[in-house]
Amino acid sequence: MGSTNSTLLKIPNVEVLMQETGFSPAHIIRLHDRFKALDKEGRGYLCPQDFGAIKELAMNPIGDRIIGAFFSPGKETVDFHTFVKILAHFRPVDKDRPKEPNSLEPINSRSNKLKFAFQLYDQDKDGKISRDELLKVLRAMLGMQVTEEQLESIADRTIQEADLDRDDAISFEEFRKSLEKVNIDHKMSIRFLR
Amino acid sequence: MPKKSDTTRKLEDVGIEIDGDVESAEENNKAKGKGAKKTAAGKRGKAAASEDEDEDDEPPRGRRTANKKKAAQADEEHSDDDIPQRRCAGNRRRGKVRESGRDGENEKSGRKNKRGGNKKQKDGKGKGKDKDNDSDNDEKKKKNSSGDDSKSDEEDESMSEGEMAKLMEEVEEKKKLIASIRTKPWRMRRRLKVLKEAQQFVDKFEGALGKGKGRKLYAYKVMMMKKWIKFQRDFENFRTACIPWERKIKEVESHFGSSVASYFIFLRWMYGMNLVLFSLTFGLVVIPEVLMGLPYGSIPRKTVPREEQDTAMDYSVLTDFSGYCKYSVLFYGYYNNQRTIGFLKFRLPLSYLLVGIGTFGYSLMVVIRTMAKNADVGGGDGEDNEFTFAWKMFTSWDYLIGNAETADNKYASITTSFKESIVDEQENQKDENIHLRRFLRVLANFFITCTLGGSGYLIYFVVKRSQEFSNMDNLSWYEKNELEIIMSLLGLVGPMLFETIAELEEYHPRIALKWQLGRIFALFLGNLYTFLLALFDEVNAKLEEEESIKNASIWFMKEYYANYSANNPNDTGTPPPVDPADVIRGPCWETTVGIEFVKLTVSDIQVTYLTILIGDFLRALIVRFLNYCWCWDLEAGWPSYGEFDISGNVLGLVFNQGMIWMGAFYAPGLVGINVLRLLTSMYYQCWAVMACNVPHERVFKASKSNNFYMGLLLLILFLSLLPVVYTIMSLPPSFDCGPFSGKARMFDVIMETIDLDLPAFMGTLFGYVANPGLIIPAVLLMVLAIYYLNSVSEAYQNANMELKKKMQMARDEEKNRRNNKDSTNQVMKDLEDLLPNRSLASHAPPENSAGKKHDQGGKSPKVKPGTAGGGVHLQKDVSLASANPNARGPVTRAPGPRGPGPLPGQPGASRGQGPPPRRQ
Repeated sequence: MGSTNSTLLKIPNVEVLMQETGFSPAHIIRLHDRFKALDKEGRGYLCPQDFGAIKELAMNPIGDRIIGAFFSPGKETVDFHTFVKILAHFRPVDKDRPKEPNSLEPINSRSNKLKFAFQLYDQDKDGKISRDELLKVLRAMLGMQVTEEQLESIADRTIQEADLDRDDAISFEEFRKSLEKVNIDHKMSIRFLR
Repeated sequence: MPKKSDTTRKLEDVGIEIDGDVESAEENNKAKGKGAKKTAAGKRGKAAASEDEDEDDEPPRGRRTANKKKAAQADEEHSDDDIPQRRCAGNRRRGKVRESGRDGENEKSGRKNKRGGNKKQKDGKGKGKDKDNDSDNDEKKKKNSSGDDSKSDEEDESMSEGEMAKLMEEVEEKKKLIASIRTKPWRMRRRLKVLKEAQQFVDKFEGALGKGKGRKLYAYKVMMMKKWIKFQRDFENFRTACIPWERKIKEVESHFGSSVASYFIFLRWMYGMNLVLFSLTFGLVVIPEVLMGLPYGSIPRKTVPREEQDTAMDYSVLTDFSGYCKYSVLFYGYYNNQRTIGFLKFRLPLSYLLVGIGTFGYSLMVVIRTMAKNADVGGGDGEDNEFTFAWKMFTSWDYLIGNAETADNKYASITTSFKESIVDEQENQKDENIHLRRFLRVLANFFITCTLGGSGYLIYFVVKRSQEFSNMDNLSWYEKNELEIIMSLLGLVGPMLFETIAELEEYHPRIALKWQLGRIFALFLGNLYTFLLALFDEVNAKLEEEESIKNASIWFMKEYYANYSANNPNDTGTPPPVDPADVIRGPCWETTVGIEFVKLTVSDIQVTYLTILIGDFLRALIVRFLNYCWCWDLEAGWPSYGEFDISGNVLGLVFNQGMIWMGAFYAPGLVGINVLRLLTSMYYQCWAVMACNVPHERVFKASKSNNFYMGLLLLILFLSLLPVVYTIMSLPPSFDCGPFSGKARMFDVIMETIDLDLPAFMGTLFGYVANPGLIIPAVLLMVLAIYYLNSVSEAYQNANMELKKKMQMARDEEKNRRNNKDSTNQVMKDLEDLLPNRSLASHAPPENSAGKKHDQGGKSPKVKPGTAGGGVHLQKDVSLASANPNARGPVTRAPGPRGPGPLPGQPGASRGQGPPPRRQ
């Protein structure tokens, strides 16, 4: 107990953080341990290289994008607060919790989860997934196995499916619509963060 | 101060209920020590909770005041200076404190101080009405919950901290709800419902939050629950790991698509079924015979005849399943017709017959059940091909993959699934000349019918010729083997021809595969026909031969006994002292048939394996390594690598199983051979396909249920059932070999059992059941039932289709509506984005109701009060509405002719989230 307390005490502004993210102290401590484990040199912040050591991310076709999502533009490092806030996207949605009319939408809400995923695809941050952006992901995912022509037709087809306003790009709204039936709450949740 | 407040607390509890009164009074006596405090706390908490309920059930005023009076009495008794009302309030809150975790002593005292402060505050207004009380409560709870976090981590040794905190929050939440339910603008019914739920929840989980016994129990329960969940997860993993070859098949599937995988799944299924057949046959026939039957060499049927003994152990003879093989437990002839064997009195002949029938019964049952189950699966989830590509694009990666090999497989499987979808898409989008297509399909079918007819006639012709040849001597090699040559040529050319003709049809590859399978099946039936025909000829010949030998041997025995009794008249005689190897014996046609089947199966295995080795492996080797020094590109050009031949392999499997079913009765060992074959084939083919084959040019998705394979299997099962049942029912078994020797028909063994082993009335009962007067109505009844069930299922299917159509229509409509709106209102949308939010919000309500007037359609009445109610509940109601897009649908449609104005549904944006996320 003493140790956990002291860990908590070491983190500045822990209450604010917990309020923002909805994490319990136990989560914060666990995340802090993880953060320290990743931060091998003990600098108090993480670099993209630190994330590269996670082999699940190294395998991932869009792993570098996920890593990129931790870093706000122009910044080379991520501190613990940002780290936790980003991971809060993956906190499972609390079930049967009555909605409080006045509070802000929690970070782990469905639309925020989706927004996070959307940003992974929307590289130029113009609010739209364009055909080129899709093609990049497709190339990473399918690689040499499929001809370029087919890749293009897949991209076209994907856009055609999801595109509601015919602007040849997928806006967030369309993205959300197309994934409406996918259980995002489940897919974008990490169980241990429960 | 601490001490005092402690006692006051107890006294306050007393104020609530009489039970509590007694308890706490007792406690009061011994609660001087700190040890007692904990147990007391539990009860106190309980009392507090029940008090909560009491209040929230909105009991009559009188009762509450009565409570208060009681409390006051208690007060007087214990000479406390607190006022009951305040006590109630404070009490509730304290219960909460208790629930939310146990504080360390230091903290506690600190808190108490705080509490004291609270009380003082209370004193000011606490004497007010109950309403005040409640709201106070609320406040306090809120304060409490903010303090929760720091407390929670001390809470648990047994539960994880996160869980604890979460639970606590939830309980808090519920309590808050209970407290404030009166102020909620809901209907009474809903209030009561919510209240009930919340109370149940609180009751259930309060124990978790640190109340004496309840807590321990709860901790234990939670621990067990976690263990149980973990166990379930592990068990699930274990079960998945236990599915044989799951990994292998998945690997194949990821590289070659679901169509190739469907073959391997089918193979695995066959293996499972054969394993059961194997255990039936070996457990009930072969092993009892080996353990308890007469040993080899004891009687003629278990001995190799004298003239064969020299060569009986030769390799060439053994590979022909002659010699020692023929007189072994593998074949029908080896079994003795003793009614019971061994000390267990095992009725081997009966068991033999029942296993033979049971094999068919079990297979039929399993095949039909699997088909029914598959059909269920196929119909269950309608393919939702709305966003196939988008889904695949955005959600197919598994983020937990951390292994390079798995990642490779995942890459492959994503690629394959994309390819499958592309093929489906191509088929859907093919704009075709329907008349030409129809014409071509009819033409193709005509060709194929011609081919099938021609090959059928050819087979018939060749069989007839071979029957003529069999009566002639000095035949040439070709004439001797004409039948086999023609058959294998047909088997080679036919499928290729069909495939070429099928190009005309341009079906989706999945459907094309079915047609191909069906056609080759028809072709192979000819094969089967010739084989069976030849076999029956042989059997008939054997039967005649046997008849003469039987007569001769009976005559010989008669003579022998006559001589014997003539020589020594006072002796009835002993059997002639002939060595079992020298006895004259019949040809035993059952064993011959069994050997035929075993030979066929084994040669089939050899051919299949060699084909794979040469046709795939060698070819792959040549293409791969000769490519370095060859004139043209072997890999891209002519020979290339082989594709996996799904239809051929599936049919091979199906026909092989037919052979097993037919032969198993005459050669119990055949099932064992087949199990081995399937086992090796699984590994061998998996390896071969991964090593030497390339994916199909058009990887297509297999239909979810491989019911077509099952259908073929069922057909073959039925076909193979016929000859076996025919032999059992109408051919006389050999007189000197097999378990049924000496009987007129094989099924007589059942009659014998009924007569000898079962009580007499059973015999008469069976007699009645076998009466045609009973059987014919039964059959009629069954036919009627089938008819009825069939029509019912058809009706259901129609209803299903209807519903699906409706759903599709609704979806289309939705889509169209959106499209229209978005295309027509682009300008308006831009304008909206420019407009300030505030004005939108004020505009929204009238707009909304106007919109409703415009379109008639399903709309949720809930939208109305919220929007009409103005800004206060706005967000909640908007979020409510957005949860169900369909209910919102009609409103979002822009009222067409209206000028540039804010859209309905916009109010969501006014909450400052920006336009996109909330709407639609």
